[in-house]
Amino acid sequence: MTLDFSWLLDPLYQKWLLRGIGTTMLLSLLGMVLMFVIGIAGAALLHLKVRFLQSPVTIFVELFRNTPPLVQLFFLYFMLSEIGLTLTDPVTGGRIPLFTGFTCVVLSLGLYNGAIAVEIIRSGLLAVPAQTVEGARSLGYSRLQTFRYVELPIGLRMSIPPMTSNIVSLIKTSSQAVLVAVADIMYGATQIMLETFRNLEVMLLIWVIYLAIASLAVLVVRRIAAAFRIPGYGS
Amino acid sequence: MTDHQQSAPLIEMRDVHKSFGSTAVLKGVSLSVRDGGVVCIIGPSGSGKSTILRCINGLMTIDKGTIRVGSFAVETLKSDKQLVPLRHQVAMVFQQYNLFPHRTVLQNLTMAPVQVLGENPAAVRERALALLAKVRLTGKQHAYPGELSGGQQQRVAIARALAMQPKVILFDEVTAALDPEMVSEVLNVIRDLAREGMTCVLVTHEMRFAQEVADEVFFTDRGVIVEHGPPATIFQNPTDPRLKAFLDKVL
Repeated sequence: MTLDFSWLLDPLYQKWLLRGIGTTMLLSLLGMVLMFVIGIAGAALLHLKVRFLQSPVTIFVELFRNTPPLVQLFFLYFMLSEIGLTLTDPVTGGRIPLFTGFTCVVLSLGLYNGAIAVEIIRSGLLAVPAQTVEGARSLGYSRLQTFRYVELPIGLRMSIPPMTSNIVSLIKTSSQAVLVAVADIMYGATQIMLETFRNLEVMLLIWVIYLAIASLAVLVVRRIAAAFRIPGYGS
Repeated sequence: MTDHQQSAPLIEMRDVHKSFGSTAVLKGVSLSVRDGGVVCIIGPSGSGKSTILRCINGLMTIDKGTIRVGSFAVETLKSDKQLVPLRHQVAMVFQQYNLFPHRTVLQNLTMAPVQVLGENPAAVRERALALLAKVRLTGKQHAYPGELSGGQQQRVAIARALAMQPKVILFDEVTAALDPEMVSEVLNVIRDLAREGMTCVLVTHEMRFAQEVADEVFFTDRGVIVEHGPPATIFQNPTDPRLKAFLDKVL
């Protein structure tokens, strides 16, 4: 068996791959932003025991954590396109759908990994020593101020290791974008395979690309973790 | 001295009851502390000493009785907002220091005055540096609590309490977690504060220190104050058999 990578020299394929990498990274980045917003807000509502909102958050977490992300994506995609909300393009005046495949993938990633992030951040908050919280309370910090200035900064640091896995999971899950016709890296790969039949070679390359993107993300998180490390506290 | 005795006490607890579930921890505690007074609370573990302190600054709510601190009726303060002025006046130092591990020593001192009391950051910073000098920690302002020894952390905690410019400081077994050689550096700081006229309520197992600094000692056992009086009487001339038995064990 010989591996033939000559198709890589084709500028059209190069363009597909590079655009695909860009789209995958953008999907992942936007998904991560949404994931953090959902994770922190959900964990805060649960941790602060906000009345009437605890149960909805718990239901949300169970619903999105315990169902396959692909099912969620299809559900979002078909449900939202059914509703058919559109925006008016300010330049052309044309109607463009509000919930494109791209939007649906970002939403789906944010919701699925966000549900997991709620639990990750909540466990970080629970790991903040009760004495530290008592110290803040004794200085007059309100429940909310204690959360904002003491529990959340420490809790988020504690949640970095499991959150790293969640971020990597989000990047990998973004490969579902191809299934709602978003031109991510998997989409480019599928197109190239259809034209060249070099399935093994293309998949090898995709494998390496995902490995590189995920490793880059892990590296960035490690840098952030090092910058926020608490000297003399934990490891 | 007579002035103090005639004026109303700064802290007054009357018939305070507190239960955790079915366990009654305080069963009618009454005590008073005059302004500038130094009071030590001694007694066996589980007798309610720490609970008394936490009731005074409203960290714990009480089931029955009244607690007055200055002009505050502590048992009527419910919301976080109502408790801020009380906690401004009543600071607390804990057995486990309870510092903020993610903030530097200086930030530990300045956070609450700026974030809770809304004071001017520059003025607070200046005051904090002076307080660090007072607890002999000049040069450590940029260290993190985790980089300091237990004795140093406890002195930061005392400075943090002082940064609130309180009228009273509650000390909850502040030397119990320290290595023996670090106990004296913390006690020296407390001794200085007591001499300067800071009102101090100490829960302590350091009997010799209690004897030296306190002007009144309360002995608690099983949720009540069994005996109280000047240290000379409590330590040299105890009358209650439970106090006698306790002192035999610890002295």
